[in-house]
Amino acid sequence: MKSLIDKLGKTFDIKDIVYQRPNLAFVTVSKEHVLNLITNLLDYEGFSHFVLLSCVDWIEDNAFQLTYFLNNPTLKIDIAVRCFIDRNNPTMTSAHHLWKQIATYQRELKEMYGIDFPGSPGVDENFVLEGWDNIPPMRREFDTKKYAEETFFPRPRNKTNDPKEYMKSKMYPND
Amino acid sequence: MSLKDILMPFKAWGNVFKEPVTLKDVKREGAPRYRGFHKNDVATCIGCGTCEAICENEAIVMVPVEGIETKNGDSGLRPMVDYGRCCWCGLCVDVCTTNSLSLSNEYIWTTNDPEEFRFIPGVVDKPWNNSEKGWTKPGPNFSYYGKERVPMPELKPDERDKSFIEIVRGYSKEQAMKEADRCVECGICVATCPAHMGIPEYIKAIRNDDLNEGLRILYDTNPLPEICGRICTHKCETVCSVGHQGDPLSIRWLKRYIADQQPAENYKKILETEKITKNGKRIAIVGSGPSGLSAAHYLAQMGYECVVFEKLPKPGGMMRYGIPEYRLPYDALDKDIDYIKSLGVEIRCNVTIGKDITLEELHSQYDAIFVGTGLHLGRSTRIPGTDHPNVYQAVDLLRDVTMGKDIPATESIVVIGGGNVAMDITRTLARIQNQRYGKVNIITTSLESEKEMPADHEEIIEAREERATIIPGWGPVRIEIENNKIKGLHVVKCTSVFDENRRFNPKFDESQTNFFAGDMIVESIGQGMDISYLSESIKENLKFNERGRILVNEYFQSSLEWLFVGGDIIQGPDVIHGIANGHKAANGIDKFLSEKA
Repeated sequence: MKSLIDKLGKTFDIKDIVYQRPNLAFVTVSKEHVLNLITNLLDYEGFSHFVLLSCVDWIEDNAFQLTYFLNNPTLKIDIAVRCFIDRNNPTMTSAHHLWKQIATYQRELKEMYGIDFPGSPGVDENFVLEGWDNIPPMRREFDTKKYAEETFFPRPRNKTNDPKEYMKSKMYPND
Repeated sequence: MSLKDILMPFKAWGNVFKEPVTLKDVKREGAPRYRGFHKNDVATCIGCGTCEAICENEAIVMVPVEGIETKNGDSGLRPMVDYGRCCWCGLCVDVCTTNSLSLSNEYIWTTNDPEEFRFIPGVVDKPWNNSEKGWTKPGPNFSYYGKERVPMPELKPDERDKSFIEIVRGYSKEQAMKEADRCVECGICVATCPAHMGIPEYIKAIRNDDLNEGLRILYDTNPLPEICGRICTHKCETVCSVGHQGDPLSIRWLKRYIADQQPAENYKKILETEKITKNGKRIAIVGSGPSGLSAAHYLAQMGYECVVFEKLPKPGGMMRYGIPEYRLPYDALDKDIDYIKSLGVEIRCNVTIGKDITLEELHSQYDAIFVGTGLHLGRSTRIPGTDHPNVYQAVDLLRDVTMGKDIPATESIVVIGGGNVAMDITRTLARIQNQRYGKVNIITTSLESEKEMPADHEEIIEAREERATIIPGWGPVRIEIENNKIKGLHVVKCTSVFDENRRFNPKFDESQTNFFAGDMIVESIGQGMDISYLSESIKENLKFNERGRILVNEYFQSSLEWLFVGGDIIQGPDVIHGIANGHKAANGIDKFLSEKA
């Protein structure tokens, strides 16, 4: 794995390398280099299987982190390529031309985070949230609890006890 | 539409008589680390509620459970999970302070009654209660809040063993905030603190870097934070929930941090005591130890005119005349006392009640009296040889050190006792030996084994670092005297100190003996009270318990309604009990005088 990362490092500006397991490493590259890197991994390094594309909302850093998980079925190793994109302009180049199924992930990310992948087939179609009329729900500023309380009819929560106050009531009620 | 599309439905008919592939009643077990229904080892759980606090879905509520008692370190509550709300994220498991909570890998269970989806894991019988698979904390060292406390900067043994400079240097802002960050705010500690201080709240104030708020919280329940921040027995730390899987929070040092950061001249503004309206009533307080000062503080805040009478030359009681300066420097002590004085409290030193003025006279001049005169009389083992002039009481020597008197520290000393006072005199004498002779030769022995010694463990460690020899587990038999000079102490092995009812009832193995050489013996096996200032007529009207202690009610009011009694002579002995007693007594005096008016 290390020799592969070293080799990639000669061509790409790779940062934040994490050797998570002997068969899994994370690397971070700039948004502009992601497609070059994953294309290279597909065409030259045997990472023919696309596993998944995920996103993390780093709201404090005003960034979304995209992670492309790829698998080399021959060597049985995984590499996860990360990049950060601007949260104020969440647009990323589509990679559906490399693996067709990426379009589905990109469609999901559009719906859940509002990240656009121009040209990705069906990217503007509903994924699971038919009739959604709010901000994308996986964005951290989305108040899930408030939304649920306003939209559904929650069963009231059971009565709870604060340990400190409960202990006072039992152990020193008159103090 | 292609020909294939037209023919495909007919092709499907070809399967109509084939065996169906549906598998019935075949259980698919979850993966070994699957996050299924909760398990809770309710005997290990302490009901701290951290699982509830972290649950984003409010799926956990803390409820009482029959048969689980509320006691120090255990709220008696246990988590109930609502599976209509739980999202199986496992954060409750990851944050659990005792590692009692886990998730089984069982995910199939159903019932027609929605109420049954709310239950108390570990209490309600479920098939997965003993499941070994499922989600537990990822690794033994995993912790959201850090297992190790931030180390306290201290003087090294060779930097401190010849002087009385304060050993503990105190946290910096960065260190305090890092340590405060380990607190899970469960509040389990509050019940154990005799003063029930707002511990989670003042630690939160440190995290928020709002030390004004921190000081206000401290003074709500404790008017001696500089003192307690240094020498409190910190029982709170023994029940800290974080301590179950790591070091407990440094609660005492965090308290000190707040007080240390605030300059004395800001106190009155922060605590909003610049203007106190007097109510015209006068209270006499006998003794300026923790209970007396605490009572004076809270009474003064309420508008009472308080006069404190102190027998010794300076105020503070045992805090000044019992605790060595290297643990509690006088300027820290004076900072707390000076603030109380700034509230209008008058402290009259060198006044002995019963000699300079009687309690009856005080009663005629004041509306109520609080007495907190402490335990200043050293107890003797009464073994043969204790009447030798070179046998001393620890409390007397410690008092003399504070008063600047010349201490009769010889070249080899034996101390009898295993409490904090024994450690205080051991370390004090070790310093004096070091200053005088350039070496330490002191043996301290106690009945208790090292595990049972009442002294704080760090005191024992630090005494050894300062080259004192601590030999626990021996009972004194007699002092060897030859030509009127002490040669040492004969001891026998102590096999147990307390009986099955935790009563003091030491047992010895006479076949195991030892001899500790020394030319001076110091006894430090406890202290008694001196209430000779109570006249016979007052004593006749007071009620005493079977141990000779004055009986008081919950407000520390004696059977003479104008006389309130607290501190070590009632409860303790320690500073924080005294503070709590003084506070309650102040409320009691206020109640008594308000009802009387």
